[in-house]
Amino acid sequence: MSVSATSAFDASAPWQLSEQVSLRDEAFGALAYHHVNRRLVFLKSPELVAIVRGLSSFSSAHEAIDAHVDSSQHQRYVSALSSLFNSELLSGR
Amino acid sequence: VQELLVEEVSI
Repeated sequence: MSVSATSAFDASAPWQLSEQVSLRDEAFGALAYHHVNRRLVFLKSPELVAIVRGLSSFSSAHEAIDAHVDSSQHQRYVSALSSLFNSELLSGR
Repeated sequence: VQELLVEEVSI
């Protein structure tokens, strides 16, 4: 049995957009570009962009999500932030 | 730059 060395995204922790990442607004949401690992990520909802831009204002990702989307969409956005974390676009604070 | 909320592409 192997144990994954990667850490999981903790939505109860405080996060922010990595300083290595630039966001460019698009009609569908935004493009995120990581200047070090050169990853290009499409954020395909304006709400997700608002959550990501506002992450540093909240004490947890859960709170940031709740500020922008309905509770029925909450888990979907946790998964989206987890994907951004895995792409190294988010950093802890 | 044509339901997933996040999609990563190779630059």
